[in-house]
Amino acid sequence: MPTPDRYETLDIPGDAGIRAFGSTLKELFVNAATGTYSLMTDVRPMAERETALVSVEGHSIEGLLVAWLNELVFRFDAYGFAGKSISIVSLSPGDRDAAEAEAFSLSATVAGETFDPRRHEGRLLIKAATYHNLKVENRDGVWTAEIIFDI
Amino acid sequence: MEVLYSDVPSGVGSKGRIRLGSDDERKLLLKGARWAVEHGMGEESDLEKTESGGMIDGADPSLISTKAYERGRSQQGTLGSGNHFLEIQYVDEIYDEKAANSLGLFPDQVTVMIHTGSRGFGHQVCTDFLEVMERAVGKYGISLPDRELACAPFSSPEAGDYLAAMRAAANYAWANRQCITHWTREAFMKVLGRSPQSLGMGLVYDVAHNIAKVEDHVVNGKKMKLVVHRKGATRAFPPGHPELPAAYRHIGQPVLIPGDMGRASFVLLGTEKAMEETFGSTCHGAGRVMSRHQAIRKAKGRAIWRELADRGIIVRSAGRETLAEEMSEAYKDISEVVDVVHRAGISKKVARLRPLGVVKG
Repeated sequence: MPTPDRYETLDIPGDAGIRAFGSTLKELFVNAATGTYSLMTDVRPMAERETALVSVEGHSIEGLLVAWLNELVFRFDAYGFAGKSISIVSLSPGDRDAAEAEAFSLSATVAGETFDPRRHEGRLLIKAATYHNLKVENRDGVWTAEIIFDI
Repeated sequence: MEVLYSDVPSGVGSKGRIRLGSDDERKLLLKGARWAVEHGMGEESDLEKTESGGMIDGADPSLISTKAYERGRSQQGTLGSGNHFLEIQYVDEIYDEKAANSLGLFPDQVTVMIHTGSRGFGHQVCTDFLEVMERAVGKYGISLPDRELACAPFSSPEAGDYLAAMRAAANYAWANRQCITHWTREAFMKVLGRSPQSLGMGLVYDVAHNIAKVEDHVVNGKKMKLVVHRKGATRAFPPGHPELPAAYRHIGQPVLIPGDMGRASFVLLGTEKAMEETFGSTCHGAGRVMSRHQAIRKAKGRAIWRELADRGIIVRSAGRETLAEEMSEAYKDISEVVDVVHRAGISKKVARLRPLGVVKG
C-alpha cells in the first residue's frame, strides 16, 4: 500500500488539528512535526541556519508524540525557532515493540531559523498539542497519528 | 489605528516592548497589574477597577518551570493572536442609564476594549502541570473518561502547587492587560495631543475570562467554600458583593463581553440570580459557528478588511488568515447570545459597543 501524503490538516470547530502519516514511526514523527510547523508558519522559504538537538521522553507512544510536538511549540513560541528539516536520530522502542513498552524516548536534530514577522508568514499561535482525541495507529503497515492543538 | 498597531505588539512571533530580567519576572508574577503600575504603566485607580485589584494572592513563582519563564519573558505586553484583539469602539446603545452613568458610559462615547491573557506563559504552566496531574491521577486512583482531562484532589500537594502556579499566570495576564492599557493611552496621547486624563481614559473594568478561584457560595441553603473555574465564562457578581470596588458595589460587577470584529460587544452587570443559579457566572463571548477552515473557505476571493472598511471599521492584522478566521459570519450573533443571558437574569445589559477600529494578531 503506498504511503499517503505526509500530513493533512483536520477541520475542527474551535481548534486546529493534523493527521500525519508514515511508513515508520520515525517518518510519522517527522511528518507530525512538519504538519505542526505548517499551522504556525510557512517554513518553505526559511533557511537552515541553526540546528537544535531535541530530546523528549514519554510513558506511551502518544505521550511521546505530545511531548515532541510541545517541545517544538515551546521553541517556536519562546525563541521563534522554526524547523525546516527534521531528522530523528533515535526513537525507542522501535516500530515493533511500541504497543507494550512503558518508557519511550526520542532524540532528533531540527534545522531551521528564527521566525521574523517581517519576512515570514505568521499563521496560528499554537498553545499546545493536546491529548484530546489523540490517536497513534498502525494499519496495514502505515502509521497514522491525529493530533488536536489548543489554540 | 496605525499607532496602536505598531505600539501594541501582536501576532505570531511578536516580541513585547518589555525585557524582563528574572527578578522582575518573579516580582511581576507576585504583583500582577500592580507591578505595571509601580513601573509607571497606569494609575492606582486602574487597580481599584480590576478584578482582585489586578493581583491574586497565593502565587508562587518558585513553582514555575524554566520553560514557562522563557516563554513569558519576551511576551509580556503582547496581544497574541486568534480571537485576541484590541478595539476602538463607541457606545451606540444604552439599556440602563443609571448603571451606565455609574460606569462612566454615555451614548456616542469612544471606548477601547482589550481581550488578551497570560500568553505563552500560561500555556506552558498548563502543559507542565498536565504532566503532574497525569501522575496524580494514577497516584490517587482516579478514573477519567478522556485523556484530555486531568485532576488531583484539592487538598493534595499537586493541586496546591498547580493553584499557586495558575495564580502566577493570572497575575501575568493582569500585568499584560495593564501594560497594553498604558500603551493604548500613550497612542491616543501621541495622535490627539491630549493627556489620557483630559480624554477621560479611565478604566471601566478588567475581568478574567479563564480562572479558578476559591469563593463563598450557598449550596442547598448552606454557605460553602467552593473552587469555581470559569473557562469560557465570566464572573458576574451581584450588587453588594464584597469583592466589588466601592464605586460599583451598588450596581453589581461590570461584565465585558466581546463579540466579533464586525458587529458588537457588550457591557453587562452581574446579578443576584447569577449567584443563585450559575455560581456568579455568565457567558464569555459569542462562540464560533464555523471552524477556522470553513471560515477561510468562505472568505476566499473576498477582502474582509475592505468589507469592514466599507462599514466604517478599520482593521489591522499581522496574520494573513486571521481576518478570514475571525470574520463576523464565523461567530454567533453576540446580540442574541447576550439576550439569552439577559433574559435568564444571570446578567443584565447596560451598553452595546460598536467597533470602529480593530487590531488583530
